[in-house]
Amino acid sequence: MIDDIFRAAENVADEAEVFFARTEAISADLKQDKIAIGSKSSGSGIIIRIIKDGKIGVSCTDNPQTWKRCLDAACASAKFADPLTWKGLPEPADVDKRPLALDKRIKTDPYLVTDIISQLKAGSEAYKADITSGSASVAISSHTIANSNGLNYSTTGTQVHVSLEMIAGQSTGYESDTSWNLDQINPQETGEKASFFAAKGQGGEEIETKTYDVILSPMAVSQLLDAAIIPALSGRNVHTGRSVFAGKVGDYVAGEYISLIDDPMDPRGVANSAWDGEGMPVKKNPFIENGVLRSFAYDLRTAYRYDETPTASAVRTGQSGAPAIGNHNLILSGPEFDIFEDKALFVHDLIGAHTANPMSGDFSVELSSPFFAYDGELQEPVRTGMMSGNIFEILYRIQGCSKETRTLGSVIVPSVRLSDIAIIGRG
Amino acid sequence: MPVSCRYYDVRRVTGEVTQVDVDNGRVEQAGTSFFDKAVIRVLGDKGWGVFSVSGEEAEFEKLPESFIKEAYSASLVTNIHIPIQETPSSIHPVPSMKENPADVSLEEKVSILLDMYKATEGPDIVSRRINYIEKDEKVTFSDCYGNSYNYGLCRCGFSVLLVASRAGIVQMGYERDHTISGLNIRHRQDLAREATERAGRLLDAKPAKGGILRAVLDPELAGVFAHEAVGHASEGDLVKEGSSILKGKIDEQIGSPLLTIVDDPSLPEFGFCPVDDEGTETKRTEIIQKGILKSYLHSRETLASVGFGDAGHCRGMPGVEPIVRMSNTFIENGDSSYDEIISECRSGILLKGSRGGQVDPGRGMFQFNAEFGYLIEDGECTTMVRDVSLSGEILQTLHTISLIGDDLALHPGYCGKVGQTVPVTDGSPHLLLDKAVVGGCDID
Repeated sequence: MIDDIFRAAENVADEAEVFFARTEAISADLKQDKIAIGSKSSGSGIIIRIIKDGKIGVSCTDNPQTWKRCLDAACASAKFADPLTWKGLPEPADVDKRPLALDKRIKTDPYLVTDIISQLKAGSEAYKADITSGSASVAISSHTIANSNGLNYSTTGTQVHVSLEMIAGQSTGYESDTSWNLDQINPQETGEKASFFAAKGQGGEEIETKTYDVILSPMAVSQLLDAAIIPALSGRNVHTGRSVFAGKVGDYVAGEYISLIDDPMDPRGVANSAWDGEGMPVKKNPFIENGVLRSFAYDLRTAYRYDETPTASAVRTGQSGAPAIGNHNLILSGPEFDIFEDKALFVHDLIGAHTANPMSGDFSVELSSPFFAYDGELQEPVRTGMMSGNIFEILYRIQGCSKETRTLGSVIVPSVRLSDIAIIGRG
Repeated sequence: MPVSCRYYDVRRVTGEVTQVDVDNGRVEQAGTSFFDKAVIRVLGDKGWGVFSVSGEEAEFEKLPESFIKEAYSASLVTNIHIPIQETPSSIHPVPSMKENPADVSLEEKVSILLDMYKATEGPDIVSRRINYIEKDEKVTFSDCYGNSYNYGLCRCGFSVLLVASRAGIVQMGYERDHTISGLNIRHRQDLAREATERAGRLLDAKPAKGGILRAVLDPELAGVFAHEAVGHASEGDLVKEGSSILKGKIDEQIGSPLLTIVDDPSLPEFGFCPVDDEGTETKRTEIIQKGILKSYLHSRETLASVGFGDAGHCRGMPGVEPIVRMSNTFIENGDSSYDEIISECRSGILLKGSRGGQVDPGRGMFQFNAEFGYLIEDGECTTMVRDVSLSGEILQTLHTISLIGDDLALHPGYCGKVGQTVPVTDGSPHLLLDKAVVGGCDID
């Protein structure tokens, strides 16, 4: 079919690209402590992109049989696009074609998800709290990217995901875990942590309004990165006036030991691949190195549009399935020390991080599962609190990072300790 | 029906999505994509089995027996017996559109948007973007009771995003409008201009100071308040799971006697459901009546196990099993005028526009963010402020509503829950809260 598309596109386009993806998944959902829903799904999709006279057209369909209509729509779409100096789709390169995120033991087998659920439930008994909902799922997905220059890469990957929500009185606890590999996922620990936060979060006192040293969990850190930092590193936002990082390459934008690097081949990644969403061989992109802004992320379209060097940062997400700028394994690092030793306010999760101002970085969010931490452990729970600040400024307030990191989608982050953060209390 | 299968339904959604992206005067994308998705649900001996397919597999006239078998086999992992309630089933007609977007060429849409783009010029404006989206869906539903529905619904809308920058300060102006009543992009320069002016004015706005204040919410933000603080916690699935603070509170006074909150999927607004996604007729449900909790929002399943309220609130994305959702959620009009509310507030803050919100319904905490606001001093709006949010506890905050305006307005948007996004409207008149926890970047 892919060859048929290229043959048909030859007459109407200068270049063409086909991205074909297929996923099969199975899952089980807990409602309270029983499995109430079992699900299976299968689906595929095809995304066709053509370039004609520097104009890009794209269309997708989840019915590959109807590729002709999809190709026509891609060609129609190119008519309206603003042309750019197109320098070509990638040529085939010598990339590592072995699957890098495939666990062959993972099958869409109901026993696999029920076994994960049992481990999750066993872990959840560590502390006294009730399960409200939870889920376990496994998926096998494959994709092929091919273009009219003869590039044709295919790979298969696996994914296993667990999540659990628990409650004790009015205290809630949420935890989740995702990996491509059964050895790297620990449902029992996910269950334990959810029950810890629900059970131990009870009986917290209100705190007073003032500045605190704050420890953000990896989940909270990744929410703040998503809300403002990651969009500001997109080359497209930089060139269209939507990034405060524009014009600051070479300047300090973070504390001097803080780095933010996209390393697509880091072994902690959950979906590593040697090529990006456009078939470009991936490479390490140092966005921020020791506090200094070094580079931005580009896909082909944006790099060609603004005469920049492509960074193989294309990902395939969103409704249209068109490649867009993203990151693979964005790693935040800083000075490592025991950040839980001296007293600080620990925050497990944030309510409303997506409501931050993505341009200025200003935010104020409610805290989820806050505790005072000291002597290496979470100690007294705190009832409520609202944290305010600026996400870009937080990059300067990082005192240190935990040694342990978590992989949350396409970011790999430690817990971080921040100084002087404004907390509005109700005490 | 296959043996051991107590219930089944199938919902297939076929459609086209057209998107146009005008970024700083350049058309970066303008085109159409296609989808075809079906989801088959069965109730086996115990719980639900769900089978999702797409593309050619979804292209069936009559539901293949093999799909029911697949869904049934998926249900075999369940270990709890789930009862469901039979509910009235009927469909409301889909209102006709003033101008069907399908009748307007892509070329014309692009040219209308480029025209709108011209209205976004202004001093200090450094970025201008207009996005258009049109989703045209054909839905077919049938269940084992013999109910069967077909309808088409087109949702379209646009957003305008402006960024202003001066002396290192960056601010944004954002406006959007989405509708089911047909093409809505003609002659909308005023809305584009409003967003442009606001981005510029926000450069001079002061950062808000956090603390416990009296707050006035505008209809858009008060609608988000109704949605986040009350709507989610009234969802029957959360009540059933034990993760709602409103569990066990039916017939209790949980808020000000001025307060009535409604969810009405039958209202022909952006959250309109001609019939819900499990075939139940849709109708108005009063969640709170004069401050007293009266109803939860339900599906067939949650109505059977929780009771108190109406089914007809079950919605799913194409190809995904439906769950309990809001549709058009609003606070009913009170009898105070806007001027009365501002003057009664005396000293506090007026919060306007919404950048969204979130709730932890089990803990009963919510948060939402305004796009901007004004300080209220001596009963008058004075200085403009930016980046103000509000958080609070559901059960406390509903009692602090001391005045409700008479100017109900609805605003379209999208709501996310467990990975599913559905179109909704939220609405309210202006509200006065006596004691609100307002977050700003400064504290004393």
